[in-house]
Amino acid sequence: MVEVSALDQLDYYLASLDELGEILIDADQSASVSKGVLRLALGTIMASKGAIFLYNHDSDQLSVLASQGLKKQDPFSSPKKLLNQSGKYKNTHLALDKNQPWITGELKKCTLELGTKILVPLFHKDRLLGLLCVGKKFMGEDYTGAEIKILEIVANHLTKALYNYELIRNVDEKGKQLNLKLLELETLFDISVAISSVLDVDELGEEILWRSVGILNASKGMMLMPKENSPILEPNSSFNWENTDVLISKKLTVFKKIDDTKSGIILTPEDTNSLQKKLGEDHVVIAPIQAKDNILGYMILCSKETRHGVEAFTQTDLDLLSALCNQGAVALDNARLFKDITEAKQFNESILGSIATGVITLDPLGEIDSINQAGMKILKMNEDEIIGNHYMYLLEKDMEIISLIQMTEMENTTHSEINMPFLTASKEAVVNVSVAPRIDPSGNIHGLVIAIEDITDVSKVKNTFKRYVSKQVVDELLDDDAKLNLGGEEREVTILFSDIRGFTSMSEKMSPEDVVSTLNEYFSDMIDIVFKYNGTLDKIIGDELMIVYGAPISAKDDTQRAVSTAVEMQKQITRLNKERIKRKDMPISAGIGINRGIVVSGNIGSRDMMDYTVIGDTVNLGARLCSAAGPGEILVSPSVWKETQKHCSYKKLEPIKVKGKKKKVDIYRITQDD
Amino acid sequence: MSDFSLSVREEGDLVIIETSGYLNNVGGEKVSEACYEKMDGGKKYFLLNLENSKVVNSIGVSILIEIIEKLQDVDGKLGYYNCAPIVEKTFNIMGLTKYSTVYNSEAEGVAGMA
Repeated sequence: MVEVSALDQLDYYLASLDELGEILIDADQSASVSKGVLRLALGTIMASKGAIFLYNHDSDQLSVLASQGLKKQDPFSSPKKLLNQSGKYKNTHLALDKNQPWITGELKKCTLELGTKILVPLFHKDRLLGLLCVGKKFMGEDYTGAEIKILEIVANHLTKALYNYELIRNVDEKGKQLNLKLLELETLFDISVAISSVLDVDELGEEILWRSVGILNASKGMMLMPKENSPILEPNSSFNWENTDVLISKKLTVFKKIDDTKSGIILTPEDTNSLQKKLGEDHVVIAPIQAKDNILGYMILCSKETRHGVEAFTQTDLDLLSALCNQGAVALDNARLFKDITEAKQFNESILGSIATGVITLDPLGEIDSINQAGMKILKMNEDEIIGNHYMYLLEKDMEIISLIQMTEMENTTHSEINMPFLTASKEAVVNVSVAPRIDPSGNIHGLVIAIEDITDVSKVKNTFKRYVSKQVVDELLDDDAKLNLGGEEREVTILFSDIRGFTSMSEKMSPEDVVSTLNEYFSDMIDIVFKYNGTLDKIIGDELMIVYGAPISAKDDTQRAVSTAVEMQKQITRLNKERIKRKDMPISAGIGINRGIVVSGNIGSRDMMDYTVIGDTVNLGARLCSAAGPGEILVSPSVWKETQKHCSYKKLEPIKVKGKKKKVDIYRITQDD
Repeated sequence: MSDFSLSVREEGDLVIIETSGYLNNVGGEKVSEACYEKMDGGKKYFLLNLENSKVVNSIGVSILIEIIEKLQDVDGKLGYYNCAPIVEKTFNIMGLTKYSTVYNSEAEGVAGMA
């Protein structure tokens, strides 16, 4: 056997320590450094078996970092007295020649398997980091003091290396936890941003759910909202859920508890909640989505994932979920409010859109900020031409309306005007305008509202009708168009015909201008009288007038009014003649005939030329009576006499033969009115 | 959204994996299985199309880190494209983008991985 000198031995140990330094510098992980250190330690002291165990304070377990000659590799529970007993051997070693009763369980099995002779607890100050176990020396020799010393030196360096790696690992772990916290904060921030950017309730609910599932490592999630007028909670959105058709009642105890406490709940497999059964999930966390004290819904997350399966949600998870839900509740409340306001606006717009009155709103600067469909139609402009313009620019042709707006601006009271021309739209347009201050719910004035009612058509009707009937009749017709039946119908009317006697021969002696001025003077006076008694001017044929009473509107005194008209016409002709004589114009005289009976009334004519008139025998007899009447005479038929005899004096004349009638017709001449 | 699925195709040396669904434990495992199978066949450049994976959790991220570590052993690369903003933000915060790249499109990814 070759003798090894003490110097050689020292060289060998120094070389080992040098190699130890290389291992510690090069290795970048605790496992690789441990492997190197163990190999070096065993080689230096000439042992064949050994192991380095790492102690985990959290789990109180030992795990194999490196080993030679040990089959077991899984972590195992440490002996109960490990910390207490190993503490006695800080900075030294424990010889395992004798049985150590505190080394029990799996550690004992390992030491036996390794044939452990020396155990070095790896302590950094008072913290146990691990154990270094060394088996018997080659050929069963005892370890020398130098070998044990070198083992302790190696163990000391290993301890420092393990401590450094633990520090690094802790820093990494803390860094990872900080990143997760940062992610949580970012998620909360994103949701707060969503409050002001996402206004769709469903989209927002989905956004909050997705963020919650991801940040809490849940395997699936669901947002439940109460169904209106029902105890059922409906999924507003779900994530990673195959079947969301589960009927979930708000009356479940878990929701009642949340409603009462206004805080969320964690359910674990130990709980036997009916919600867990319905969902088929053991691990559930539920948080209320509440805005102030109003619970809008519930966020449910299930099965918190880890790398190796599922674990229970923690209070921290619930706190985070509650924070997300609180943020989300504000956002959802905003979104709901926006939706309600939008619907209310649409409702108002649909009302404004459906009314015939044009409604224009002005902002406090006098610029138009809205107009309804009727408004655009009245103005004959599209929205782009109107919105944003100042009213002074838009209505520059209508100074009267501008004045109305300015009065409202100054006095903050409503101002209205009817029958105003509206040149902005057209020369013919006629409108009723009302301008009122726009007042918000706080009572503050924010601009004006202009209501424009287009009465152009009504005005046209009035203008048209007033040529034929009195203003009173026009107004009556427009107030109640049920009275107006312009279609063909049989009705009883009184017809008055008047005709200037001898006008043809008279006009031959007059200039055309005098003829026209004479007729205009005469008709002007006569028609005033007709309208005074609400007669309808049916026709002017040459010097003849045809007046109807009882069409288009009937009245009980139609005949009496016709008679009164005739009497006043004759009186007015007498007055007119006095003036004409003074002017040295030829006097005129007229004969008048009045009949009452059934006629057919309605709009008669072609599509292009249509007049409201009456036709029939009654009309013809009225004309015959007019023809039979002498100058200044008023002849009436028996039907007229019958209705008016109490108020008028008549003289019955000889019956006359009338064209188209076999029998002669009785006639009466008015001698005096009442 | 439920279930996770993926499709794998090759563009030369590049393996493109298109995912659909939650990139969590289940989804991450499926991605890693697909990657490791291709790595066994010699592939080392992988591009993930995450257009249809809008949600990712930290478990999914840790699995991606495992894939990146394995790829680093063979000088390989992992990249992503069509990432939702929240997914990209998660990758950034969790440190994934130090060791892998987020691309805007497949074309950009193919060019970047070459």
